[in-house]
Amino acid sequence: MLRRLPLFLLVCICTGNLYAQNLADIEIHGFVTQGFLFTSHNNYLTMQSSAGSLAWTDGAVSFTDSLTDNLRVGIQLHMYQLGELGGPNVQVDWASGDYRVNDHFGIRAGKVKTVMGLFNDSQDVDAIFLWTFLPQSSYPVDNKSFYLSHVGGEVYGELPLGSRAGKLQYRGYVGHVSLDLTGGYLKESADHGLVFTSAPGGKVYGGDLRWEAPLKGLTLGSSALVEAVDGKGSIGTEHISPFFVNAEYAQFEKGKFYFAGEYRRAPLNVILTVGPAVIPIPLDVRSWFAMGSYRLGKKFQIGGYYSQYVNKALDTNLPANYSKDWVVSGRYDFNSYFYGKIEGHFLHGTALGYYDSTNPNGLKPNSNMLAAKIGFSF
Amino acid sequence: MTVMKSRWFIVLLGFFGCWSMATAQDVVLVVNKNVRITAIRDADLRAIFTGAKTRFADGSRVVPVTLKGGAAHEVFLKNHLGEGPDEFRAQWRKAVFTGQGAMPRTFDSESAVIEYVAATPGAVGYVSRISSPDNVKCLPVVK
Repeated sequence: MLRRLPLFLLVCICTGNLYAQNLADIEIHGFVTQGFLFTSHNNYLTMQSSAGSLAWTDGAVSFTDSLTDNLRVGIQLHMYQLGELGGPNVQVDWASGDYRVNDHFGIRAGKVKTVMGLFNDSQDVDAIFLWTFLPQSSYPVDNKSFYLSHVGGEVYGELPLGSRAGKLQYRGYVGHVSLDLTGGYLKESADHGLVFTSAPGGKVYGGDLRWEAPLKGLTLGSSALVEAVDGKGSIGTEHISPFFVNAEYAQFEKGKFYFAGEYRRAPLNVILTVGPAVIPIPLDVRSWFAMGSYRLGKKFQIGGYYSQYVNKALDTNLPANYSKDWVVSGRYDFNSYFYGKIEGHFLHGTALGYYDSTNPNGLKPNSNMLAAKIGFSF
Repeated sequence: MTVMKSRWFIVLLGFFGCWSMATAQDVVLVVNKNVRITAIRDADLRAIFTGAKTRFADGSRVVPVTLKGGAAHEVFLKNHLGEGPDEFRAQWRKAVFTGQGAMPRTFDSESAVIEYVAATPGAVGYVSRISSPDNVKCLPVVK
């Protein structure tokens, strides 16, 4: 744990004079963040957060090159440690070729980011958000790497609708997703004795339509996807039949104000087979959030949001089947590259972010949390 | 009638030169001399510098370049993109780290911007003022 902090500081110092360096025509960008959590009850996200924990480090570096006027290639390598999740392995966030035929149509292929709702494809880009945690009801950080990208292809483009109707951005994709072997879902599964040595996964296809309204700053959109997951573990299997997820969202920016909201629904049935036992886990997830922020000056931003997750397939009165989170946030930009964040969470319910192995004495239904993060991005 | 007015506006701007473009609390837009268009719509300029548009109206490739900071940078962003440096940087970071775009080249000084624009076909940038545009072309912005 103590080894990570000096490493973080070293990276910051060594890259202090870097900014979007161009080595020949290759663009190199990167970021590194260090987080801290302290919770009043329960250990959150596999961290020993009730005693205060620094076990949250994220870092990535991306390389991009434009080979021709229309063709760009790139790769982003990512490493993270979140409590017992992640680890020293370098993962490929995305690696793709992007052929843009014109401004209305383009194709990406390789490992590409998956668009879903407002923030799914950018949820790992900490530097662009005020929030230390994005709303966990829709963007659970412990399973970020599963949702973030898929191997396959995507078409995208923008269609102008005329000066009075704004413009429409579209993306459609098909491919294959894999659970992260060091991520939250498989950690939860391992806690119950079902260990996977090869990542479960399945086909995914979906799309997103987002309308930039003629009212400047207003964006409305809708995303949907269908995916399936199958995997074989040490003593059993996991099977999720193809299921449909949809999200509707809106955001509005005007001057120093920013508002956004999103609703998502995901009904699915997880079937775990452990030895002779077949364990069905019914889920009908309804999640939503509403957020607002205000920029107090060039360097300082404040905001808050409410985020809610409920599994309607089970008894919604039980804390294990819901999670409600009131959040207040602040961010200070020391300069263009270096920033700090602090956030207070008032958590009700235990459906998200808690693991049996790090909470052996059970869970309290409510907990408060202080989260802080410093980050460097170039 | 509106077209005629726009044309006269462009002719007048050309007559008074780039210096006059810089006097109205704005920056001067400079493009490579090979760029064939004679004016650019504000909406197109916004789309180019946010990565939504990669070609000029005549179909030729566009290469946007920016200043790293300073008054001219802030004036350009405020007047033509309607945002501040932080928002501008955030949206490009999002594009870069999601694999959806490559950040425009940035330069420390206006002379470096002019030098790059002069040498790069399709390049478009901005400076606070320019009095003798020998090696680049000034481009009026039409609302």
